Amino acid sequence: MITFERVSKHYPGGSRALADVSFTIEPGSLVFLTGHSGAGKSTLLRLVMMLERASRGQVIVDGRNLSQCPDRLAPAVRRNTGMIFQDHKLLRDKTVSDNVALPLMIAGLKYADIRKRVRAALDKVGLLHKEKAWPLTLSGGEQQRVGVARAIVSMPPLLLADEPTGNLDPNLSRELFALFEQISEQGATVLIASHDLDLIRQTRKRVLVLSGGRLADDIPAGEAS
Amino acid sequence: MTVLVLAIAMFLPLGLYTTLTNLEGMNLRQDEWSAVTVFFKSGTSEAEDRSVAEELATRMQTENVVVISPAEGMLDFRDASGFGESLDMLEENPLPWVMQVSPRSGTTGEVEQGVRELMAYLQSLDSVELTQFDYKWLQRLGRMVELGRSAITALALLFGLAVIVVVANTIRLDVASHAEEIEILALVGAGNAFVRQPFLYTGLWYGLMGSLLAIGLLAVTMLYLGRPLGLLLEAYGTSFKLQGLGLYKSLWVLAGGGFLGWLGAGIAVQRYLRQLKIGGRLGRH
Repeated sequence: MITFERVSKHYPGGSRALADVSFTIEPGSLVFLTGHSGAGKSTLLRLVMMLERASRGQVIVDGRNLSQCPDRLAPAVRRNTGMIFQDHKLLRDKTVSDNVALPLMIAGLKYADIRKRVRAALDKVGLLHKEKAWPLTLSGGEQQRVGVARAIVSMPPLLLADEPTGNLDPNLSRELFALFEQISEQGATVLIASHDLDLIRQTRKRVLVLSGGRLADDIPAGEAS
Repeated sequence: MTVLVLAIAMFLPLGLYTTLTNLEGMNLRQDEWSAVTVFFKSGTSEAEDRSVAEELATRMQTENVVVISPAEGMLDFRDASGFGESLDMLEENPLPWVMQVSPRSGTTGEVEQGVRELMAYLQSLDSVELTQFDYKWLQRLGRMVELGRSAITALALLFGLAVIVVVANTIRLDVASHAEEIEILALVGAGNAFVRQPFLYTGLWYGLMGSLLAIGLLAVTMLYLGRPLGLLLEAYGTSFKLQGLGLYKSLWVLAGGGFLGWLGAGIAVQRYLRQLKIGGRLGRH
């Protein structure tokens, strides 16, 4: 699903975010990405989302080589990818269901379909009763789940999460991870950047460890580190 | 505020346009100074004159032809000049047959054209000694109207540009205040078209409201100027009615204003999106 081939990323001014990173993630798997802050986790996710371009090497997502993909196709690449952000990135002036509906509206679906799928996604994250609520009236954990609902509403084959548990207490974090596992079991590829090492150990999934922009370790699933 | 600025920018060329249309449409026919006076050669018979008059009425579609016999001319002259009885001392009437021809009515340009054709035709006739027409003023009016037309084109271009710039500036601020929202839209896969759409509607709305207000301003101005202008023209012996834009042209103005607003908004958003380069710089943490 995702293949990095000797990918490097430099920012103007010389700071190096990724250096010579190579790995492959199989379709339908759930993989954690970990490392200290500044290790390059966010940059790696941004490359997959086409929010950045690699300075060197190839990023191949779902069979598409993003290094050769023109800018105008970036929105299409992003529509194929659900992304969950640490700071939720919800629209404050729209209700919960309108926020979740956004990817479907962009895709141009019919209103009736949108409504049905939004309700299904909200049901999955357990927030169906908050359909009409405003994001700012929700707790941090609820907002994060709205973000998850928005990411999965269009059933993308790939789901990315950038520190999704950053602001959550351990119980909520465990619930969220369980939800990700469930999504992965239904066939989606899930890549989660997190430094919640305790939780990661418990799930016993594959873990990519970044350090100073390099891939320091690649722990296969089922192995406790 | 923006709408008012837009309305004023659109009002200026519209006002000039209306002034010019009214100037052109002024009915010049009834005014005696627009008649061509034709003097026939002495010794021309009445029958000949009448046939020329008929010919004119049919061929040149003249509005009105008045034939004045030497006797009638003498009577007029006697009354007007005050020579009275001393004219009786003349042995024979020295006045020629005279004809007053009014060209077909129409706009200033059409009258000018009609008069030119009429004069050319009359001068080609053997029986005509002299034609008289105060042509200069008509020409001058015609040239002034032409100049006004060019001025309108220049003004319309200039103020059209002003409308685009004003809308673009307003929308630019609007876009900047929605920067966070645009970022989120881009992150969940919105293309430029999706991001642009609401701003284009806002621009279109500004343009429509601006032109609507401009049309309203024009109507109010005409209402205000109509009476004193009517009185002024009455003093010149002309009566005429101020012509507004009319429904059809008003709709065109609305469409044009809407389009300019839409265009201005499009330019503003496009500039912002390019500067943002959603592919690159979005919300780097």
